[in-house]
Amino acid sequence: MDSIKKSIIFISLLLAPLAAIFISLLLGRYPLAPTTVMAVILNHLGITSFGTPDTAASIVMNIRLPRSILGALVGASLAVSGAAFQGVFRNPLVSSSILGVSPGAGFGAALAILIFTNNSLMIYVFAFGFGILTVLLSYLIGRSYNTTPAIMLVLGGTIVSSVFSSLISLVKYLADPTDQLPKITFWLMGSLASASYRDIMIAGVPMMLGIGGLIAIRWRINILSMGDKEARALGVNLGLLKGILITCATLATAGAVCVSGTIGWVGLIIPHIARMLIGNDNRLLIPVSLSLGACYLMLVDNVSRILTGSEIPLGILTAIIGAPFFVYLLKRKAGGWA
Amino acid sequence: MSLLKIENASFQYGKSTIFQNISFELGSGSIFCLFGPNGCGKSTLIECILGYLKLSGGSILLNNQSISSYRPAELAKSISYVPQSHAKNFPYTVKDIVLMGRAAYTGTFSAPSAEDIAIAESALESMGLTAIKDKPYTQLSGGQTQLVMLARALTQETPIILMDEPTAHLDFRHELIILETIVKLIKENNISVVMATHFPNHAFYFENSGIHTQVALMNNQALEAIGSPVEVLTEANMLKTFKIHAKLMTAQTAGEKLVRGLIPIEVSS
Repeated sequence: MDSIKKSIIFISLLLAPLAAIFISLLLGRYPLAPTTVMAVILNHLGITSFGTPDTAASIVMNIRLPRSILGALVGASLAVSGAAFQGVFRNPLVSSSILGVSPGAGFGAALAILIFTNNSLMIYVFAFGFGILTVLLSYLIGRSYNTTPAIMLVLGGTIVSSVFSSLISLVKYLADPTDQLPKITFWLMGSLASASYRDIMIAGVPMMLGIGGLIAIRWRINILSMGDKEARALGVNLGLLKGILITCATLATAGAVCVSGTIGWVGLIIPHIARMLIGNDNRLLIPVSLSLGACYLMLVDNVSRILTGSEIPLGILTAIIGAPFFVYLLKRKAGGWA
Repeated sequence: MSLLKIENASFQYGKSTIFQNISFELGSGSIFCLFGPNGCGKSTLIECILGYLKLSGGSILLNNQSISSYRPAELAKSISYVPQSHAKNFPYTVKDIVLMGRAAYTGTFSAPSAEDIAIAESALESMGLTAIKDKPYTQLSGGQTQLVMLARALTQETPIILMDEPTAHLDFRHELIILETIVKLIKENNISVVMATHFPNHAFYFENSGIHTQVALMNNQALEAIGSPVEVLTEANMLKTFKIHAKLMTAQTAGEKLVRGLIPIEVSS
């Protein structure tokens, strides 16, 4: 009984992102009918040749489709790496940026804006590179006595995060207030407004690699969550497995952050919602977090596009929409977050 | 032939010595009780045998081969572990926890197979946990949790199980259930056990149950005595190590069996 219920939830959650992408194609300042969108897609695949307005084809294929695909990838990356970090740190309050990826990437982007002002490729490269660098620093600080205890890693992450947050302020202070400073500020708030297929090609690689790796080791995350001593007794090579997990989660998060900016909350609440729906076995939790994260970010991005004339930054909306929903779920489950 | 052999083991945290010159052997189908006051290094020694900590000197031989030459998964096919207390961070189901015992038999990138699941199911069955296998293990009592930990160790299919005070925090009945289960595992599955304990009567219980029992009295960073329970858990040793007066009693059960036990009388001034 229970397993049938679980598999129904499982299958529907895996189909959900596809439906969410389709819905995203309909919505916006220029609403499109489902039939028009279907026709555009089928035409593009070369299956049919319906007459569709050029503007509709252009909006669907060049603007909305890359944006929703990128949104799905970013949401999935943040949620899956958040779930994985929660497992390895054995702490439900951990999110995808626990080891400082977000402030690191934020600093990298700000620095790139300061140096190059308008070179979006360099912004990606710097954001991604500094995101990885911060995690490496956190890991080196946390590494002691031939091992890496979770508490040391968290402290390493806290130290590195605060240093890079200060560095962001420094760059802002040095930036030209007419063009660079607003650009940095908006980047830090997070947005998918400039999404293109090029972004998917560049940032999609680390995101897919990271997500794929975490899916592959998902059962082992259960074992890591037993704590170092028991995991070792169960036969896990702690250094190797933690290394794989942190590398994958960092690739996914840095890939997401470098194209979308700092988007909080997704990596914290989505895994929790997944835990409430499906339980804590990472064999199910990781795929379900992936699906929910993708849907959630597309939903938030749609709201950001539609709600007002100018777009509301994503980082603001993820919290404003996510927080009340999270409170509702916590209350309903009487504080049992899991 | 000895399954596990500890030779001149010593361990230091920085400059402070936790234990030194520890040597003993564990034979097949027997139990070795590590007995001693708080902080004498029992848990540290167990963690060294698990491969989690590294000895500062000496060696631990498993089948005449140093455990440091075993990869973690290989070692975990020979030695499993029942912790003293287990921090429950996520409400996994009982079944999920027991299934983790198969980690050493599955590749890093693969999930447990149907065969692994069947082995876990039969371990649940033999521990009498089948009825609660879908329950979140966070809802279990301390005694049930230890049975789950035993089932997980059993699922690991190892010839040796290390136990660190497996009956700590348990009530009288559950303590006995765990002890009976250990006896059953040793007798029926020919498993050998190294067990850290605070209770001399645990060692007597195993001996009374007809299991080959060895006891080591660990104190002042070393093994002060080693041998059968009667040889080691003497009134004189209790006075020396714990500074208590105790009385060794022998009684006859209804089944005409002789059982021994140590009764504490008073703290020596």
